[in-house]
Amino acid sequence: MDYLAQYLPILIFLFIAAGLSAAFVFLPMGVSRLTGAHNPDTEKLSEYECGFPAFEEPRSQFDVRFYLVAILFIIFDLEAAFLFPWAVSLDLTGWPGWITMMIFLGELIVGFAYAWKVGALEWE
Amino acid sequence: MDYSISLRLIAPEILLSVSGLVLLLVAAWGGQKTGRLVSILSAAALFGAGLMLFPTLHLGVVGPDTFAFGDQFRADAFAAFAKALIYLAGIGCLMVAPTYFDRLKAMKPEYPVLLLFAVLGMSIMVSASDFLTLYIGLELNSLAAYVLAAFLRNDTRSAESGLKYFVLGALASGILLYGMSLLYGFTGTTSFEGVRVALSGEMSTGMLFGLIFVLAGLAFKISAVPFHMWTPDVYEGAPTPVTTFFATAPKVAAIALTARVALDAFGTQVDAWRQVVIFAALASILVGALGAIGQQNLKRLLAYSSINNVGFILIGLAAGTVGGVGAMLVYLAIYVAMSLGSFVALLMLRDENGDALATFADISGLSAKRPALAWCLLALMFSLAGIPPLLGFFGKFVVFQAGVEADMVALAAFGIAASVIGAFYYIKFVKVMFFDDASERSVADSTTAHWVLLVVTTAIVSPLGYLVTPSLGDLTDKAASALFLLP
Repeated sequence: MDYLAQYLPILIFLFIAAGLSAAFVFLPMGVSRLTGAHNPDTEKLSEYECGFPAFEEPRSQFDVRFYLVAILFIIFDLEAAFLFPWAVSLDLTGWPGWITMMIFLGELIVGFAYAWKVGALEWE
Repeated sequence: MDYSISLRLIAPEILLSVSGLVLLLVAAWGGQKTGRLVSILSAAALFGAGLMLFPTLHLGVVGPDTFAFGDQFRADAFAAFAKALIYLAGIGCLMVAPTYFDRLKAMKPEYPVLLLFAVLGMSIMVSASDFLTLYIGLELNSLAAYVLAAFLRNDTRSAESGLKYFVLGALASGILLYGMSLLYGFTGTTSFEGVRVALSGEMSTGMLFGLIFVLAGLAFKISAVPFHMWTPDVYEGAPTPVTTFFATAPKVAAIALTARVALDAFGTQVDAWRQVVIFAALASILVGALGAIGQQNLKRLLAYSSINNVGFILIGLAAGTVGGVGAMLVYLAIYVAMSLGSFVALLMLRDENGDALATFADISGLSAKRPALAWCLLALMFSLAGIPPLLGFFGKFVVFQAGVEADMVALAAFGIAASVIGAFYYIKFVKVMFFDDASERSVADSTTAHWVLLVVTTAIVSPLGYLVTPSLGDLTDKAASALFLLP
């Protein structure tokens, strides 16, 4: 219960923050709706881009290859994140720690070889 | 810590992971044409891993001898029983897949490899005795399953079901992880043993939150109501062999895992989790029975049927006794046979062009065209409905008996009443096949592998299955006792 009591101020703070930011967004909208004139038409509702009609869809499609490269990057990036703590604590973990990491690296290499062979690394 | 003992205990998992990695390389260098070969080798690996379980299962080994890596992993009789079911279901799903995917020109060697990794994840799940081992197993299983759901990637329905499964599955994993971190924060340990000790006595609000979050995350994985909404969509959209897999092996793994978490990690707070499990059981039975009534699509119908069955299985867990867990395992074994059989039958329902007969209208009058298939389906449907001479009745009988013995007469009575509602759509299946006018659609011939699986599962659910129930009961009793080592 002690933890929860300490957490309470943060929770209250969060609620106040959420309330304030919601007020900043919705208050002007509400005020302008109540005070100003409100008669939308097609021209007013169309999207606006520096005086021109919009050139293209705002949601553009992403080439799936970017995701593929990003995912492969994350895997090997995380591998490096595992290697650092392993390297500095090797005097504690000893041979079992070394062998375990080599097995892990071996499995990663198998995955890497697979990705390479099936052409996941080729851009064209 | 003696590594050689630990390594011997995880030998089935080592075999599965090494063969998975080797087959992955075979798939990469051999190309598309190795699909069938890799399937056969994967099935052989599963069979080999299953053989390794035999001594543990037969002797009912439990206790500290089964603890590997400082009690992070337990290769006891309970885990061995669940693994045996999972491996058998995996072999079944490997057998039916090549024909299905060949017809769509989509058979890739990655399918058996992914299935092998999913099975490996489940194998780790059912043996987990630490929240981190649990999470690793669960994620290994889930990540492979997301890809399997979207295996026909040019088919929008399959891709949709994969994405849906991924988004909701990631949410469930997040909930589970949040619960685990709360439990870790309040108990200072991630091992089931340590959590069990820390939870005894008065439970703080934070611990209760952690417990509920963990159970909610697991309820998603077993698709218990109120976390079932993904099931019909994913089951309908995924390729049928993958649906067969989803309805069998991961269910066994997640339910076995839930039982171990509830009775081991939360074993000193039975009243806290029992009410959650009772609610999930009642709600699953009701939603599963009522939701299926309006369905026209056969795969969606079977998805609701699996939700319904999970409810009955949870009654066994809610009892919280050795008998209850034993009954749960008996029901699980019978459920795997029934669901494997009925999904294989759905796979066999295709016309000459290879299009699936997916709705009730398509299968009307099936008995005139394919009497053998119709009679097998009749046995499976009556068994799912729990009509006496068939084995499905025995499964329901043992869980209700366990419920009554644990003083939960009202729960058992409700279950019996709701199973009558459920019987409606199973019998509708039979009525449409046998008494309605034949539809225009023809039914194509099926391969031997499909027939073998269908006949074997039908034989298991037929009264012949009662021949094995004594030894099945014996095995489940030994397995269930593994969860009740401590007072």
